[in-house]
Amino acid sequence: MSPFMGYFMLGSAFLIIVSMAMMLGRLLGGPTLYDRLLAVNSFGTKTVLFLCVFCFIIGRPDGVDIALLYALMNFIATIAVLKFFNYRALDVELPSRNVTGAEDVR
Amino acid sequence: MSLIFSAAVETTHAVEHAAQIDWISVFRLIGTIVSMAAGLFFVLAGTVGVLRLPDFYTRLHAAGMTDTLGAELILLALIFQSDSLQMVLKLLLVAFFLFVTSPTATHAVGHAAYRAGLKPLLGEYRAPDLEEDKS
Amino acid sequence: MSLLAAAVEPAFLVPTLLLDICFLALLVVVAFAIVRMRSLFGIVMLQGVYSLLSAAWFVTLDAVDVAFTEAAVGAGVSTVLMLSAMLLADRQSTPVPMRRQLGALAVVVLAGAAMLYAVGDMPAFGDVNSPANSYVGMDFMAKTAEEVKIPNVVTAVLASYRGYDTFGEVVVIFSAGLGVLLLLGLNGNSGNWVARPNGQVINDRTAPSAGLYQDNRSEEQRAEAGQ
Repeated sequence: MSPFMGYFMLGSAFLIIVSMAMMLGRLLGGPTLYDRLLAVNSFGTKTVLFLCVFCFIIGRPDGVDIALLYALMNFIATIAVLKFFNYRALDVELPSRNVTGAEDVR
Repeated sequence: MSLIFSAAVETTHAVEHAAQIDWISVFRLIGTIVSMAAGLFFVLAGTVGVLRLPDFYTRLHAAGMTDTLGAELILLALIFQSDSLQMVLKLLLVAFFLFVTSPTATHAVGHAAYRAGLKPLLGEYRAPDLEEDKS
Repeated sequence: MSLLAAAVEPAFLVPTLLLDICFLALLVVVAFAIVRMRSLFGIVMLQGVYSLLSAAWFVTLDAVDVAFTEAAVGAGVSTVLMLSAMLLADRQSTPVPMRRQLGALAVVVLAGAAMLYAVGDMPAFGDVNSPANSYVGMDFMAKTAEEVKIPNVVTAVLASYRGYDTFGEVVVIFSAGLGVLLLLGLNGNSGNWVARPNGQVINDRTAPSAGLYQDNRSEEQRAEAGQ
């Protein structure tokens, strides 16, 4: 990797961190629950991006595994939070529209 | 500026020997720079939108659209630059998962907020009822 | 690639130090926000962000194994566990009066002072002659490549040299996880919790937060879940 590309990637990593810090502002000040959830989800995506860029800078493909794990964990955490707040439990079936048409999904 | 110049010289060092520019390296360099710059622009624009827009649904709009596109572009820039096949495959896997999960999570958050009765900030227009799109 | 060969190039050392400082600053901000926030849901989310940030920081410190654990446990599992614990509690935490915080403050100040005092005895960052880099550690570094065919020394030490120790840890963590799952009742009963050993009702009170959530089940389903 040429020095220019190294510094270019480092600058990108810094910009991603700046973006993370700004997203933290929405997370701290979000008026509703869903704002915070959106901010956490977006924060997770930016962390995945940062991990990819940084592992590219230091040249270790191992680190991308962590980014992969995060991409999945972030999604699972978001869906888990939403299910908890809709149904108060984890092991419910997702609502299907064509069975009864009722909102009652348990 | 001199850094860019030295990089260009470095990537085209074949010039001195064979009088032939290494076009693949040049295209990789240009592709990386353009793609990374566009991706960073989208990511930062989405973040500013999440900070500045007035209510939840508009913020969701800003974050959902730009995050997916920005993330894919940044990963594309990394794929342009990576040398080993392992790195390329892993990055492609990350890109695939982000491409699938990011819009799904955005949709889930928006749907949950709408079902929970979170009112959008409206002017003279009115959102359609949930019952209508059920039929 | 081994840990030794993966050292960061010297030209990038100062910028990566800057990255570390950025992450530490964000961690401090998040920690203060966790302390100051009253909404329990916000605290759970902030803890997820804290573990995301610390895992990214571990990656910049080249500790990929720790970051992997932090990613799996901190961001995923503990967020879900904290949320299910939140269902058994109130939505907001009540402020603690000032005089009850003085004892905790004294303990924290004393412990922090002791740690600051101990910092002077630590070897410098990246010191070649530090105890971790000079005696038995170098032995592991030299022999792992032919004794255990695992490129990562830390993984080799954890999974092979101290295999029984790690196995014991796994047993402890597994039983702890089972206990947490039993306590939280993740089978759909969280929120309306009635303990009845041997068919005898001990306590028929539901959790304090049960009234806050709208119960959108039908009557018989509720009876089925409750009885």
